[in-house]
Amino acid sequence: MRVALYVTCLVDLMRPEVGFAALQLLERAGCTVVVPEGQTCCGQPAASAGQRAIAVGLAKKAVAELEGYEHVVVPSGSCAEHICNGYPQLLADEPAWAARAQAVAAATRELSQFLAETGADFVPDGDFSGSVTYHDSCKGLRGLGIKQQPRELLARLPGLKLQEMPECEECCGFGGAFSVNYGEVSTRIVDRKCESIAGVGADVVAGGDLGCLLNIEGRLRRRGDETTRVLHFAEILAGEAVK
Amino acid sequence: MSARQPGAAKHSQAMFFQQRAGDKVRNPVLQQALQKARPLFVGKRAKGVAALAEDGLDGERLRDACAEIRHRALADLDVWLTLFEERALATGAEVLWARDGEEAAALVVALARQHGVRKVVKSKSMLSEEMHLNAALEAAGIQPVETDLGEYIVQLAGETPSHIIAPAVHKTLGEVEALFAENHGRPQKPRNSADIPEMTREARGVLREHFLSAEMGVSGANFLIAESGTAALVTNEGNGRMVTTLPPLHVVVTGIEKVIPTLEDFATLMRMLPRSATGQSISNYVSLLTGTRRSGEHDGPQKTVFILVDNGRADLLGSDYQDMLRCIRCGACMNHCPVYFSLGGHAYGWVYPGPMGSVLTPLYTGIENALDLPQATTGCNQCGSVCPVRIPLPKLMHRLRETQVERGLRPLGEGLAFKAWGWLARQPRLYRLFSRIAARYLGWLSDPAPSGSRGGRRIRIFGLAPGWTVGRDLPVPPGPTFHERYAARKRV
Repeated sequence: MRVALYVTCLVDLMRPEVGFAALQLLERAGCTVVVPEGQTCCGQPAASAGQRAIAVGLAKKAVAELEGYEHVVVPSGSCAEHICNGYPQLLADEPAWAARAQAVAAATRELSQFLAETGADFVPDGDFSGSVTYHDSCKGLRGLGIKQQPRELLARLPGLKLQEMPECEECCGFGGAFSVNYGEVSTRIVDRKCESIAGVGADVVAGGDLGCLLNIEGRLRRRGDETTRVLHFAEILAGEAVK
Repeated sequence: MSARQPGAAKHSQAMFFQQRAGDKVRNPVLQQALQKARPLFVGKRAKGVAALAEDGLDGERLRDACAEIRHRALADLDVWLTLFEERALATGAEVLWARDGEEAAALVVALARQHGVRKVVKSKSMLSEEMHLNAALEAAGIQPVETDLGEYIVQLAGETPSHIIAPAVHKTLGEVEALFAENHGRPQKPRNSADIPEMTREARGVLREHFLSAEMGVSGANFLIAESGTAALVTNEGNGRMVTTLPPLHVVVTGIEKVIPTLEDFATLMRMLPRSATGQSISNYVSLLTGTRRSGEHDGPQKTVFILVDNGRADLLGSDYQDMLRCIRCGACMNHCPVYFSLGGHAYGWVYPGPMGSVLTPLYTGIENALDLPQATTGCNQCGSVCPVRIPLPKLMHRLRETQVERGLRPLGEGLAFKAWGWLARQPRLYRLFSRIAARYLGWLSDPAPSGSRGGRRIRIFGLAPGWTVGRDLPVPPGPTFHERYAARKRV
């Protein structure tokens, strides 16, 4: 099975390990993985800021790069959500693009969705042992219905104990530009998330969206928590987490 | 939509959102009140909606049905309003129309003067806040008395409601005790939550006198039912019954969008409204107010006047924002909003707070007068996923952000930065070079993790995005970018 891996700009810059973990997992699941060369950013920040023209330009660029692949896999709920739900809306009024955007959207899956759908018997390499609490990121959860998939995949690691925190579906306060433009409000929101995390006392907070993870990790460290690790679920599944 | 400057704008403080938000986040008393209320609201709604299954009802299908009723009413709003007027007149009520809040307040004042009214008892109405009704009555020498307990507290404090169904949610018990002691002429006592019934009885005693002496009652309406000319009132404290039946004159002020076609529609909406608001299967009181006191009847007003107010609503019909008019004012969106519960309602600066306020305030007071509100959202869609009438609140806030860009209302630097970044992101080679440099730059700015830490390097103060590091560190990349490393790997 030929799969295009869309790494995302945030993983490219801020946590390349997540990209390599995704690559490793997909290969392990029997896929031939291609990393399309010209990929940069899906354009979600521009779309979210109301910069429609820029968002449309970047959507077309990504559609042109990603069309033709049977599967496109993204290790981020919010970027995948933008491709699946945002692109068809942004390009709906352009006859030359609407159908192409829909085709790319239909081929695109967030990483845990893809692994859960295609690899029922897939066994991850990771030998992580310890407790994990899972934060459901908003766009993946409410936009794509991602909830059980990452949990089911993590449960395939025998040494991993999932400890749910209260309000795991509550927003972490990241919100892209919101976290910078309304820093104090964003901090107040992520503080509540940190309290939930502290309450459950797991070794690791895991999630599927790097923006949320950077936000949570940044606040945990500022609060003086140097022991709770913050990891993308792909890092745990691929065994990166033990390095 | 027209670019007129609505009269409502002059009362709005929404342009000061940033400053207000900072004050609210740093106010420990407020934070304590909000932290206490939030899980109650969320838990009660979840329980209430889950209990629909006991009646064999599917919550999601019920939301569809409620959205459809509101959509149907708005699609032919003129027809239903005309029918409502016709049927209400037939019951002996009067119907007046007001273009905006000021006009509506002037009508209420004129009615009060005409009937020699000196005191008005009010049941909770957010529209009366849009109208600045209390100020208008006071200016005319007429005493308005809020009789909803929360509204009464807020009025004593000289404030405005901070929540559409829990007006005093921002107040702690201690603050309420201080207000009651001062205004009820007694010494302050130490209080805990066990004293709430006693304090409520105290307010009840004071309010009872007002009910009996007021010459006019003003209420809102949760719905106007067209087929019967009825105002439906959904309340919990019983004050609504007093306001609408004891004084000889009852004035209903409500927005023109509140009309629904039939009593059956009302029954369906009532399945969702109390559950979405307080989790109750039904509120303590549901009043269907039709017409005036008829001969032989012992209670009810001698005169009922409906004042139907536009104040920006008609402009939304047929616009990108028509869905917002479906709102039935349950408060679920704010109860599930991470931003609302970090700030409370006053930070929003006008009548309506939370997600519905972040859409309505710019639309009713001018987009240029509330620039922060549609931006101050994480886009989490916790609001949209609980809205009983399926208003796509994040989508409407997003459309407002697009409109800000289209009208040139964003800072110049932001637009230029997006243009430059948008261009760069379409030049992959240059973008690769840029991200390689960015990764090194971030590394250079960063400090190592303290010894024994399981975290990595981090930036503690980031000049390019100071908002991030105001309360967080920025974890930095461990070295080369993904694409750099991937390219190197392929070469091997």
